[in-house]
Parts: sequence; C-alpha cells; structure tokens
Amino acid sequence: MTAKLTGLGREIWRNRAGYLFIAPGYLAFVVFMLIPLAAAAGLSFYKASFVIDQRQFVGLEQYARLFRDAKFQKALVNTIKYVLVVVPVTLGLSLMISLLVHPRGIRAQSFYRGAFYLPGVAGGVILSVVWLWIFNPTFGLLNYLLGLVGIEPVLWLASTKTSFWAVSMVVLTFTIGQPIILFLAGLANLNQDILDACVVDGANNWQRTWFVTLPLLRPVILFVIATQTIGVFQIWETIYMLTEGGPSNSSTSLVFLIYQTAFIAGRYGKASAIGVVLLILVAIVTFGQLRLWDRTEV
Amino acid sequence: METTAATVSRPRERPHHQKLWLSRLGRLFSYVILTVLAIVFLLPLYWMVTGSSKLQTITMAVPPEFFPSQPTLANWIKLFTGPWPSWRWLLNSIIVSMLTVVIVVIIAAMTGYGFGKKRFPGSEVLFFILLSTMFLPSQVMLIPLFLLVRGLHLTDSVPGSYLAMALPMLSSPYGIFLVKQFASTIPDDLIDAAKIDGASEWQIFMRIAVPIMGPALAALAIFTFNLAWNYFMWHLLVAADKFMYTVPVGVSYIARVPAYGKVTQDIGLMMAGGSFGAFFMIVFFLAFQQYFVKGITFGAVKG
Repeated sequence: MTAKLTGLGREIWRNRAGYLFIAPGYLAFVVFMLIPLAAAAGLSFYKASFVIDQRQFVGLEQYARLFRDAKFQKALVNTIKYVLVVVPVTLGLSLMISLLVHPRGIRAQSFYRGAFYLPGVAGGVILSVVWLWIFNPTFGLLNYLLGLVGIEPVLWLASTKTSFWAVSMVVLTFTIGQPIILFLAGLANLNQDILDACVVDGANNWQRTWFVTLPLLRPVILFVIATQTIGVFQIWETIYMLTEGGPSNSSTSLVFLIYQTAFIAGRYGKASAIGVVLLILVAIVTFGQLRLWDRTEV
Repeated sequence: METTAATVSRPRERPHHQKLWLSRLGRLFSYVILTVLAIVFLLPLYWMVTGSSKLQTITMAVPPEFFPSQPTLANWIKLFTGPWPSWRWLLNSIIVSMLTVVIVVIIAAMTGYGFGKKRFPGSEVLFFILLSTMFLPSQVMLIPLFLLVRGLHLTDSVPGSYLAMALPMLSSPYGIFLVKQFASTIPDDLIDAAKIDGASEWQIFMRIAVPIMGPALAALAIFTFNLAWNYFMWHLLVAADKFMYTVPVGVSYIARVPAYGKVTQDIGLMMAGGSFGAFFMIVFFLAFQQYFVKGITFGAVKG
C-alpha cells in the first residue's frame, strides 16, 4: 500500500509541470463552476428565502410541489416550445443564406457574414429596446408595414396569443449569425473534388446540394443544432425586456422564472430546483444529440 | 466556380451561352434574396439609430418617417445629462470586460496548454469533467454565486464590485477547450529541442507555446470581451446602484423606467440609449471581425 502510494506520489511529482499548468484554471473551474453547481443542487432541497441561514429542509417535496405549480408548467412547456420554434427556423434560414452566400466569393462572404452577425453583437437587451418601439400597436413600424398589405393591427406584446411569437421573432434576429459563420467555414472546408465530380456526372445544383453538400456538412449541422438548442433553452433577457413573461405567463421561460423566483421573490430554494430541472433537461437533450453526432461521424 | 447553389438546374446538353445566361440570372436572384434578408435583419438597428435623432412627436407619427426629415440632438443631450451616469456605465463595461478577458486568457492559456501538451495521471478524466460542463446553462450557478457575493459584501466597494461582476465567467471551459485544441498542434520536436537547450517548462510555455497559440488567444480574448459585455443577468443582479451599472443594464433602466417620471416612454431617448449601447460593440466587431469568426469556428470545424 505504502509502496503504491509513493509510486503514485512519485508519478505526480514527475508530472508536476502538467498539474501546475492546469492548476489555476482548474481551481477557478472548481470554485466558480463545480461548487456553485453542487451548492445549487443542495439548495434545491431546502425552503430558503432572503435570510438564507433560516432555510428548512423539505427534500423531494420541493420538486413534487414544483411540478404541480401551474406557472412552472407553463414555463417548462414554453421553453420547449421556444426551442422547437426558434432552432429549426434558425437552422433553415442560416443554412439557406450560407448556401446562397458561399459561391459568391470572399468579399461577398465577409460582407453578408458581418451583416447577419451584427445584431447578435449588439446583444438581446439593446435589440429589445428598439423592438419595444417596433411592436407598439398604434405607432410601431411592424403594424404599419402589415397595414400596407391590409393586416389589422396586432397587440404584439400585450396579447396572450402573440407575445410568444413576438419574443421568438426577436430572438431569431440574433441567433442566425453564429450558424452562418460555422456553415461558411464548413462549406469552405468541403472537398472540392467531390463537388466537381458531381458536376461532371451531370448532377444539377439541387441534387448536388441535397445529396452531397448537406450530408458532408452533417457534423457542422449537428453542432449548430446542439449549440442553438442550448442557447434557446436559456432564453430570458428578451423576455425580461419585452414582456416580463406575460401577459398571464404566455411568454415566460424557465430561466425567466428562475430570475423572478430567486431574485425578485427571493425564493432561492425553489429557484434552484427550477435550475436543476433545466440542467437535467439540457443534459438529456445534449446527450441525445451527441449520440446522434457520434453515430454519424465518419 | 461560378455556379449558383440551389437556384437553377443546368443539364449538360444546354448550349454554352444559355447556361451562362441562366447562371447569371441565378446569381442575380440569390443576390436579391440575400440583400432583402440582410435589410430585414439590419432594419431594427437602422430604426434605432435614426430613431435616436427623431423628435418625440415624430417617433409616434403614423405613417412613420423612414428618413429623419428634421434630425435633432435632443435625445442624445438628454441621454448624457439625465439623472444617470451614462459615461460611467461605459467605463464600468470596459473595466469589467477587460478584467474578465485578462483573467480568462491567462487561465485558458495555461490550462489549455497543460491539457493539450502534457500527459499526466488523471488528465483525461479531469478534462472530460471540464468538457461535460461546457454547455451547461450557467443561470443555475448564479444563485449560490449571488449568495456568496452578498455574504462576502463584495459589492460594498467599487473594485469589489468589478471583481464580483467578472466572477462567474472566470471558469471558462470553452476557452480552455479552444486553447487545448490549438496547443495540441504544437510540434513535440520544438518543445524537445528547447528542453535540450536547457529551457525550463515556464520558458517553453512563454517563448514557444504562447506565440504559437497567439491567434487562438486573440480570438478567445475578442470573443470573451463580447460575452462579458453582454452578461446582462449577472450585472443586473450584482450592480449595487446606478453608478455600478454596465451599459446594457443602464440601457434597460432607461428603456423600462419612464424617463423623468413621465407616463409615456420617451422613445427618442430609448433609441439614443440603445444606439449608445450598440455603438461600441459594433465598432469593436467591425474592427475585429476575423477574430470573432475564428473564436466561433476554432472549436467546431476541423481543418
């Protein structure tokens, strides 16, 4: 036993350079990521409010109560809905734009890449400021433009029927930038010989795109789906700026509910439990997507 | 390759001039689609900037004014003279973002190099744990971190506040991953040669690894700056008062609180605030576009 230990000790001493190099980063990772994660998981079993020392253990009852909570149910369903709406549209739109931009040469690529990434750089909060105006039912730009084609004014942010879609629309304006950058890089890396061979074989552009380009892009597409899904699962600042989750929770999300529950209502235990549910949801979905990725990687 | 993607079909037997004509039409068609889409996506930014120069009556006019006919500086003057410290917000944003970048880049360079170039017992397990948290939603950890910051009274002082605002971003699994990918391409021969010449581990890192990893570190720095700038929720939670707001928090404050106690929102002022907030990041992006692209693609696309 002692021999083994000294063996291990000697092994560690021999590799001390490696350990020392990773030490600062790993320490930060443990202190600011792993410990807070564990603390949140622990806190999720407590009823805890502003005076954190007076927390009471409630165990799994917290989760049982959470799943009976109508507001939580709404936030859970909405979050999944946001993912199911925003991710496919983002994917389709960014893929289409990339396929159109790619053959257009380096300068056009860098121009359009910049143009579509720009809104995302400004950030969701800043963009929401202008959308508050654009969505205004009486003097907003959107209703004016829709009026030109004969559509009646819509109460975008104030109606339970449209608030979800209004938020989705704004989110979409800053999600397509990152996939376009990835797709253009992916397209530039494709084997040109294979694509040329298709032209020689008489494949038209549709066939070539559908049967050759897209399958070759598959790893990038799956990466985009994974990162976008994770991103949209965390949607909240647009909601904070535009609707505060309303009206009657029609546009709320899990992260917005975490914000409200923890930092407005001060119910840290319950908010941690919502966070844990979100974490598990994201982990399951990401794991599923990674499995898909592994299976398709050549 | 002057072909259009997915717009026209081109059977081989077509005469050459007709093919050329079709391909030109396809190219024109794709430019039209792209330009229309680009206008749609950039319109909100245009609307915000021009809106910042419109008088209150014009911002509420129907039909709206697409090109400001009587531009005014009134909104901008209000933005900089209102009961809030706009320039201070900018200073706060710059300090917090720079602080985050410096710490993240140093940490990621060392740790990424360690994982990329060193083999030691446990290195794979440790890296796997790090990697598996890379994409976890960070809001969960904000609750304990918030309680920690509050418990330590970090936000009582200005430097403490800046440190607190940078805290949750300091563990940067993505940055470490990105640098590791890059570091593992450093040739072993180079390191061995330096060792034979008597260089210490630290000298090898500073004189050989860091210059080679330079592009990755630069991309990480630019990318992290943008992320830190827009880390809205945390800044909102930690900022003790109006003087500690960052630009996005300040802009949200102007947009959501009716200015000067007015009941109606002051749209011109909102747009000036929004433009002020967008300006620095947009200039930053235009100046460093290549690094943004690298920061996004290094980790994802092979080759």
